[in-house]
Amino acid sequence: MNDTIIEIKDLKINIKIDEGTLTAVRGVDFEIKKGETLGLVGESGCGKSLTSKAILGINDKKCKAEGEIIFDADNLGKVNLLSLNPRGKEIRSVRGKQISMIFQEPMVAFSPMYTIGNQINEATLLHITKDKKKAKEISLEVMRKVGIANAEKRYDQYPHEFSGGMLQRALIAMALVCNPKLLIADEPTTALDVTIQAQILELMKELQKDFGMSILFITHDLGTVAKMCDRVAVMYLGRIVESAPAVEIYKNPQHPYTQGLIGSVHKIGTKNQDRLFSIEGTVPLALNLPAGCGFYDRCHKRIEGVCNVYDPSLVDVGDDHKIACFACTGCPNAKEGQGHE
Amino acid sequence: MLKYIGKRLLLFIPTLIIISFVIFFIIQLPPGDYVTSYVAAMSAEGEVFTPEDIAYLREHFGLDDPWFVQYLNWIKGIVTEGDFGYSFEYGRSVWSVIMDRLYLTLAVSFIILLFQYGVSLPIGIYCANHQYSAGDYALSFIGFIGTATPNFLLAIIIMYYIYVTTGNVYLGLFSTEMLQNGMRWEYVPEFLGRCMIPLIVIGTSGTCGIIRTVRAQMLDEQARQYTLTARAKGCSEATITYKYCLRAALNPVVSGMAGSLRTIFSGSTVSAIVMNLAIQGPVLLTALKSQDMYLAGTIVLIQAVLVLLGTLLSDIALAWLDPRIRFSERG
Amino acid sequence: MALFKKKVARDESYYLASQWTLMWRKLKKHKLAKFSLAVLAVLYITALFADFFAPYGLEEFSSLYKNTAPTKVYWQDEEGNFSRPYVHKLKKINDKKTWTVIVTEDTSEKYYIDFFVEGIEYKLLGFIPCNTHLYGLVNEQGEVDRSARINIFGADSTGACIFSRILFGGRVSLTIPFVSAAISFVLGILLGGISGYFGGIVDNIIQRIIEVLSAIPSIPLWMALSAAIPPGISVSAMYLYITIILSFIGWTGLARVVRGKFISLRKEDFVMAAKLAGVSDFKIIVKHLVPGFLSYLIVNLTLGIPGSILGETSMSYLGLGMKAPATSWGVLLKETEDLVSVAQCPWKMIPLIFVVITVLAFNFLGDGLRDAADPYK
Repeated sequence: MNDTIIEIKDLKINIKIDEGTLTAVRGVDFEIKKGETLGLVGESGCGKSLTSKAILGINDKKCKAEGEIIFDADNLGKVNLLSLNPRGKEIRSVRGKQISMIFQEPMVAFSPMYTIGNQINEATLLHITKDKKKAKEISLEVMRKVGIANAEKRYDQYPHEFSGGMLQRALIAMALVCNPKLLIADEPTTALDVTIQAQILELMKELQKDFGMSILFITHDLGTVAKMCDRVAVMYLGRIVESAPAVEIYKNPQHPYTQGLIGSVHKIGTKNQDRLFSIEGTVPLALNLPAGCGFYDRCHKRIEGVCNVYDPSLVDVGDDHKIACFACTGCPNAKEGQGHE
Repeated sequence: MLKYIGKRLLLFIPTLIIISFVIFFIIQLPPGDYVTSYVAAMSAEGEVFTPEDIAYLREHFGLDDPWFVQYLNWIKGIVTEGDFGYSFEYGRSVWSVIMDRLYLTLAVSFIILLFQYGVSLPIGIYCANHQYSAGDYALSFIGFIGTATPNFLLAIIIMYYIYVTTGNVYLGLFSTEMLQNGMRWEYVPEFLGRCMIPLIVIGTSGTCGIIRTVRAQMLDEQARQYTLTARAKGCSEATITYKYCLRAALNPVVSGMAGSLRTIFSGSTVSAIVMNLAIQGPVLLTALKSQDMYLAGTIVLIQAVLVLLGTLLSDIALAWLDPRIRFSERG
Repeated sequence: MALFKKKVARDESYYLASQWTLMWRKLKKHKLAKFSLAVLAVLYITALFADFFAPYGLEEFSSLYKNTAPTKVYWQDEEGNFSRPYVHKLKKINDKKTWTVIVTEDTSEKYYIDFFVEGIEYKLLGFIPCNTHLYGLVNEQGEVDRSARINIFGADSTGACIFSRILFGGRVSLTIPFVSAAISFVLGILLGGISGYFGGIVDNIIQRIIEVLSAIPSIPLWMALSAAIPPGISVSAMYLYITIILSFIGWTGLARVVRGKFISLRKEDFVMAAKLAGVSDFKIIVKHLVPGFLSYLIVNLTLGIPGSILGETSMSYLGLGMKAPATSWGVLLKETEDLVSVAQCPWKMIPLIFVVITVLAFNFLGDGLRDAADPYK
């Protein structure tokens, strides 16, 4: 497909810790098309943040990523981002300019030592123009666009003079100042008040139309996914367990985990007496994973002798809907090699 | 900012009064006074003193009064006439005794301070950027040894080493020829060589401390979210290290500056005695031993005032470095 | 809206363990800290049983051995065969050429090193009469012979065994910092607590005092204070004075920390709850506030000990601290005062190694404790 901006193939991330090596991301595949918003959903610790940071190559030194991340870069052509030196010039020409990122907690995402203007302008100066006057104009322009009132005054203020919502706007401004092809939003509204959350989401949607970029939207909140995304990939324990267009996943969730997630969202109109559905048990530690499906222990549809022996891989069930579950797609035939042992 | 400095300077006055009082109180604590130790010393050499002689000496030196009266007179002299009292031992005013060595003391302390920061900042940054590398381990190990060795003994070890390898004895900053012939260009290398020993000796313990602080702080800062933001923005590693991390990491280093000054004074006192440096340390020791109290009191007082000034300077530097502090002061 | 609480599957005991157990477990993982703890244990045990480990008592010196190098130990006899380790006695001879007296080895007799030999009488732990020493010399007949001496670290200017003196000196040098740390601890918690808990004028006064004390460089302050020690007092009184002087500065830093913690804790709900329940101020401080940061204080304290060890050494070295007949590492190092004595008897620097090792061990232990006390690591 020509309009694919980024394609991730069999991404694995290993983390070295005292107790040994932990495989936090265990073979993730997805792609994002031009102008599309992909929601990556999962609970904390499932590897979604690691995956997004791996795209930019800004994970901790202890994390080692394998696989391929093919990005269609303006200056480099189609390039595997993982093959670039994470401290080198090439990847830096991608970061911030072609792929940029906004983070979960805007309060700590800025250095307290420099003015907001200085920090936004840094990206402009790095990627767009060396002319300081022009750069400042561009930065101010973007600040106005993201809805920071009185941008000239705010430009010279420090992060501690901003509210959380304003900081998130500033962070978005910083990410968008170079008009990137792909914006990675790592739980951008989690740390904000509900009313501000809605504003920021609205802003992001608007800006996406203006700038025509793609968004990788990472969240654990299915409510925001419904508002924002075209397609959704559900991650569990370092794997994508189900991916489908957003509407499809709400209407027709297949994987027991996805069903659990959707069942646990409170919907307006349900009776108070109805208890929210909750998934039993806890996520197993990724250090010593048992064989078979990672969700086995918590699954209510598990098939003994299959699910705890084979690990399911994503199977297309039509309509761009992919599921990794034996209970949904039928038992594996070991000879055919469906699924990993 | 000016208002802040002014306010701090005003707060200086009560602190200074308490400091001078505490110092004077401690200095006069030893039983007896200068006359007692003077008489004891002279008697040992066979001089005979009648009680009248002793009483005359006491009256002459103004040691008859209760100690707080002596304190008030001392302070009155300092405030009204800039007179820090009379040194019994030297037989002249305390100020003139101190002036003999003040410039050299200040120069030595200042150079050591520069040396400490000049050496420890780059090393600290290197260690943080190469955490757990061989270089980091080696430098940290030397750092630990440096903090664990009393610096006056380090002086002896270094002098012993120089003696064994070159056969020269480097005592003091100036050789006898230098003192006899005055400074000449050909002495400069030797003079610099002689300066190195006190520099290393007095500077080491502080240097090692700063290295450890810088290293720990840099590692802390590197783990913060904003370095990730900067990296995601496309900043180079150098920008991240120097623009972002270093500036934040400097905070405790700068606020520790007054503390370094204090350790320098502390360290130089003993080391100067060992190395026979013409700075104030040895004078203080003899003054304390012979109960030459105005001299001893003034030396300690001057050091305390310098430390207080250092605190003020480091607070100002801190406000300049860190906007958060600047704003809380303004508000 | 967190859907699930993330829980890391660890064994149940992790959740049930007390703060101290957790600290201990983490400390055990810190190899350097564990090793330091072992080193310190050895140092303290040898100091406690110094009479047993040291071959000679403090009063046993021999003028013949004045300033002599570490005794040579031989492993081979004249024919080159391996033998029980032995040493030779020293003797004085008149050098006919230079008309000076030289001390050399008297190779005519051998004295063997033996373990658990009889020596000077002492009271183990202060009350058990005993005369066995870890090692000593016996002559060829196997009898204890006190005329020959083995000074493994050489002898000082009185002819006493430096090794023995290091062990006895450890009693002073290793305990003074501990006791003064304990005093600083109590003072720091008390004054810092009062300052932080009550605030107002009391706080202001205490803060000014701390500011003053921390503006005066420590060694000049210590020097001034120890100049006030009256001459000719007993060793134990001297010990007490030095301890108090050293704790004079230690408490200020601690008090500052305690004050800060108190101010932040004062606002916590559980303090208000206790107040409303009618608990007295003192009880709130001791029962509710102090346990909240005790581990932190202990770490601070451990890291403060090296300072007092170096302080005691410097004081004694300048002749302002412990003085002979008392023995401490600083007193021992006083013999290295000038370059000449170091050049002639470099072994007199050996006590320095003990100072450095102790200070390092306390530093590493403190580092380990700090990591262990940090619940987020």
